[in-house]
Amino acid sequence: MTSQIIIDPPEDGHFRNGVATKGLTPSPTTLSLRLTINGRDHALEIEPRVTLLDALRERLHLTGTKKGCDHGQCGACTVHVDGERVLACLTLAAQVEGRTITTIEGLADEDGTLHAVQAAFLEQDAFQCGYCTPGQIMSAVACIREGHAGSDEEIREYMAGNLCRCGAYPNIVAAVRQAAQELRS
Amino acid sequence: MRDFSYLRADNIEAARNAAALPGAMLLAGGTTLIDLAKCGVVEPATVIDISHIEGLNAIDVTADRALIGALAKMSHVADHAEVKSLFPAVSEALWQAASAQLRNMATIGGNLMQRTRCPYFRDPANFPACNKREPGSGCSAIGGVTRGHAVLGVSEACIATYPEDLAVALVAFDAEVDLGERRLTVEDFFLAPGATAEQEHDIRPGEVITAIEIPGSAAARRSTYIKVRDRQSYEFAAASAAVGLELEGDGRTIRDIRVALGGVATKPWRARAVEDALKGKALDEATIREASELAMQGAVDHGANHYKIALAPRVIARAILKLGETA
Amino acid sequence: MTVHDMKHAASDSARLEAVGGRLSRVDGPAKITGAAHYAFEQQLEGLAHAVLVGATIAAGKVTAIDARAAETAPGVLAVLTPDTIMELKGASDWFGNPPALSTYCPLAREITFSGQHVAAVVAETFEQAVAAAALVKVWYDETPAIVDLSDGKAGDGIPIDAMTKEWGDAQAAFAAAPVRICAAYNTPREFQAAMEPHGLIARWEGDELTVWEPSQWLDGMARTYAEWFDIPFRNVRLVSPYIGGGFGSKALALAHSAVTAAAAKMLGRPVKLVLNRPQNFTSYGGRAATRQTVAIGADKTGRIQSIVHRGVNETAVDGMWVEPLGSVTSIMYATPNFSSKQNVVRVNTVVPGAKRAPGENPSAFGIECAIDELAHELGLDPLEMRLINYAEQDPHAKKAWSTRQLREAFAAGAEAFGWAKRSPQPRSMREGRQLIGWGVAAGTYPVRRAHGEAVVKLLADGSVEVESSSIDMGQGTYTILAQTAAETLGVPVSQVWVKLGDSHFARAGVTGGSRLAGVMTGAVYKAAGQALNELIGLALSDPLSPFHGLQANTLVVRNGRIASPRGDGPELAIAELMSMLGRERIEAKGDTVPPSFTPEQRYNNYTTIAMALPHTEGDYSRYSWCAHFVEVRVDEDFGTVRVSRVVSALDSGRLYNPKLAESQWKGGIIMGIGQALLEEGIVDRRHGRIVNSNFADYMLPTNADIPDIQTISVGIPDPHSSALGGKGVGELGIVGVAPAIANAVFHATGKRVRDLPITLEKLI
Repeated sequence: MTSQIIIDPPEDGHFRNGVATKGLTPSPTTLSLRLTINGRDHALEIEPRVTLLDALRERLHLTGTKKGCDHGQCGACTVHVDGERVLACLTLAAQVEGRTITTIEGLADEDGTLHAVQAAFLEQDAFQCGYCTPGQIMSAVACIREGHAGSDEEIREYMAGNLCRCGAYPNIVAAVRQAAQELRS
Repeated sequence: MRDFSYLRADNIEAARNAAALPGAMLLAGGTTLIDLAKCGVVEPATVIDISHIEGLNAIDVTADRALIGALAKMSHVADHAEVKSLFPAVSEALWQAASAQLRNMATIGGNLMQRTRCPYFRDPANFPACNKREPGSGCSAIGGVTRGHAVLGVSEACIATYPEDLAVALVAFDAEVDLGERRLTVEDFFLAPGATAEQEHDIRPGEVITAIEIPGSAAARRSTYIKVRDRQSYEFAAASAAVGLELEGDGRTIRDIRVALGGVATKPWRARAVEDALKGKALDEATIREASELAMQGAVDHGANHYKIALAPRVIARAILKLGETA
Repeated sequence: MTVHDMKHAASDSARLEAVGGRLSRVDGPAKITGAAHYAFEQQLEGLAHAVLVGATIAAGKVTAIDARAAETAPGVLAVLTPDTIMELKGASDWFGNPPALSTYCPLAREITFSGQHVAAVVAETFEQAVAAAALVKVWYDETPAIVDLSDGKAGDGIPIDAMTKEWGDAQAAFAAAPVRICAAYNTPREFQAAMEPHGLIARWEGDELTVWEPSQWLDGMARTYAEWFDIPFRNVRLVSPYIGGGFGSKALALAHSAVTAAAAKMLGRPVKLVLNRPQNFTSYGGRAATRQTVAIGADKTGRIQSIVHRGVNETAVDGMWVEPLGSVTSIMYATPNFSSKQNVVRVNTVVPGAKRAPGENPSAFGIECAIDELAHELGLDPLEMRLINYAEQDPHAKKAWSTRQLREAFAAGAEAFGWAKRSPQPRSMREGRQLIGWGVAAGTYPVRRAHGEAVVKLLADGSVEVESSSIDMGQGTYTILAQTAAETLGVPVSQVWVKLGDSHFARAGVTGGSRLAGVMTGAVYKAAGQALNELIGLALSDPLSPFHGLQANTLVVRNGRIASPRGDGPELAIAELMSMLGRERIEAKGDTVPPSFTPEQRYNNYTTIAMALPHTEGDYSRYSWCAHFVEVRVDEDFGTVRVSRVVSALDSGRLYNPKLAESQWKGGIIMGIGQALLEEGIVDRRHGRIVNSNFADYMLPTNADIPDIQTISVGIPDPHSSALGGKGVGELGIVGVAPAIANAVFHATGKRVRDLPITLEKLI
């Protein structure tokens, strides 16, 4: 990553990014990023303010990650960064350069074999409109991996960060319970 | 969101230098900064990404103290085995906050810098008056929708509630925040609004939170955090209490007690009057309920938030009684 | 298992695939892999991004707009204001009534509600448009706003005579009744809050407009665009392959839609606009706030003598919305005397709209709480109270019910719930500091019917395509139409491809009022039957067919293979027969439209709601029914209410796919839990503005708020309601949930909360 205009004084090299142009005040710039998403590298030329969510949806055409609120209040944009579930709407794309990003498009195997959580969602009818579903599934995969799927009560609490207006919650709990059992066995 | 420059700081010195620049703001988890930038509440000229600094996320817990790096994630601290066993209120405050995703993003240092959820503070386009954002511009909340606003530590300038949970547990157990050159108790780190609502934290340009330290104690070991809210999860507190309890050898006389409140005050609120009233007293429900009322001394409501004055002492009492039952 | 494999694995079981089978969603694999592209996720070359600027006052005039800073901001292509946006023509309303004004400006000079769109910025990127929108300065001349129903300036409102329902002498009978209750019930402004925000992409090619927009009504919205831009209806193509939830909110083309299409035309580029979450609370209406008084007089045995009902709902200063508050009141219980009247009151809000079960939902909150209050007054079990006053026919229309399995619903629900073990006294059930309450309430929703059409194509490879401009927003349209076509044609579901969400497909009316499944299964059944008849006719008559000359009147198709019913003669796959016949396709358009309809009537049938069939047409009154049994736990110190158990028994007639129907019922019940306990648009009375217009402050239930929910189907096929015997599913589930919870809270605490939502401060 390089940014062209930087602050005063970075002469000691404290900042990994940027070129010293002494005397200039900070000003907007365009970043050249490489993001590792679903095992593939993607090059991006974007403003620093672009979120990971908008980079995915508007630049990389990975629209499986949904925008519901854009403020961390719904969970529709849940993705994995270094294997942990986070919200892409409150993550700058620049911030996750060098991290490993997984989205819903990268969850199934290359040959199309569904992840156990995806298969359970289909079987349990754990969605209706499908808009919150990628976020629910990414959250559920992490929930199980974290060890927070030990009981229905725990699943409900640790899946509470993913709102579903269609009201698929009981079926989501059933799907997470089923997938957790399958993944344990 | 206004455009800004983005810089990564690889080490804490770089972060401190950058933090001193005009218009610079630190980015750790991003859950407050990016949110408020989208609201137009903050307009950083430069965002200094400190999330890649190595070595600042350590969690080191002994019987004497918990030392938690500023970049430790909320979720990691919440799930940390020794934090759970030696500082249960800290773990409980953390896992009841926000959502699993947000807790994976938000750092302990950033959590201390979380801003109020006052809807007027968060909407500058519709409500220009806010003393927190623009000193002297007035308070849009007073006279408005106040159901979530504070009843303790309020002023004519601001009634915005401190929304978070962790710091409530931290002030209960005399935790300190490490700013590099300076070290403050968490209680002193937070500032009540008074006439200067824009000053929420005692932090100076160029200072960066590097760690928090929580002294170990018998009260911290026997502690809990109770959070009451309309929704079961993923919501800020209507009222919450962090309570720690140490009993005498007789198993019923209170040797030490710590009480702090969340969701009802302009900062994480230590309720020393309750503690003083109960030290040396027996664990008795009537005594506890009566003493818990003392937390509301000086409370001022603005109509719709009146219920908090009744609610908060009940949360304290519930927490104490719960700890008493787990003897 | 791959997506492809799963489709075939599911197809192994004919039982699952038949109409009435528990087939998993056929659109499911696309949705769980991120492959489903929703309307405004289409990728277009040269796409520009638009962002709206909303009014910061609730009433007054825009006196000036300074767009200079925005216009010169990086990436900005245009700033549209009332003065610079192109003029549009007025469009007819959803009944097909012509517009009051010949022109339309979707950006406002006269402000009638906070958040109303006053300007729009179009830029190369989303980020640039957002930043520039913040630079648009607007000056206003503010006038006092009427903020809500309780505003002193609001007055009593406008009587809506069409809502008046009266028989007997209700006032006199109430006055004479030995047992009387009278109470006021209020519901706040509520929002649909679909997870997918409203938004669209508009693209012009010459005078042809393509709009990718989530839509519950492609044909109705296409008509509006055609009228705004004065182009032929067929020049508008609306595309909406998946809809991320609608709940009534996505049936109309709205001001932001017009702005986007106008911007695209003015710039000569495709333009995308997505409302941000706060704008989703002010750009279209949620459920209107309502107030009702319900007075019931009964004899000492609990038999109702009279119901007197008065209702009010808010509407906009410049738009009319009537939320029919007497709809359930007038039909749920037998009463010899009845009076219901309703007013609407104008306040400074965006015009309210349809939210799941408009009318029936708040209506049931009033009558189903009131009946509980009357039962308590009489010392009767609330379930017994309902059975004593069971309406054996429609008390208002005075017609027989087509089917009414409500008694069965009460019985099945009570049995599964364990209602008989209920301790009658309030505050008599507890666990520690948790007060436990059990409540019951009934719900209903009319069977809304309409005429429909569909195209079914048999293709050379033996596969089947079903085409309709109807939509699937999660109800399961893709799935049940595949089941209907597969069963009718005798092919596996894996050979059926349902194509929806394109207004150039066979026409469809609105997806609302729980009518779509009944209308479309009927149309597909008919179209598929015609296609099958044509196939069989060709097979018997075409000299190239191996069945030619066979002594048979007909042939049968099973599992995609065609044969004679007696089993003599050849048996071959449809694809083989098509090949022998030299046919690329057999296509049939089936409809349930009366043959007498003129082309204009057909057009209006799909593009207005004026042609819907009354649910009391002919000899019968047609409704879906349900009974909800709810357990709540109320913390006696904190006042927090949590629903811990729900058993609901529902009569939606025949279920086309019980797996999906149960999901919809549960979804309605969960939305009802939110309505009862959490949801309220809170208005700052100084500014007339909703201050909780986001998902942190306008709270939807989370997973942690929802217990196990048991649903029981008690329906039987209803031949008077639809071609295949189903009644409505989607709206029914929510009706009656809020009163069941309020009644349970009363049973737990002894406190009667008549203002929703039941938040903790109302109980401490």
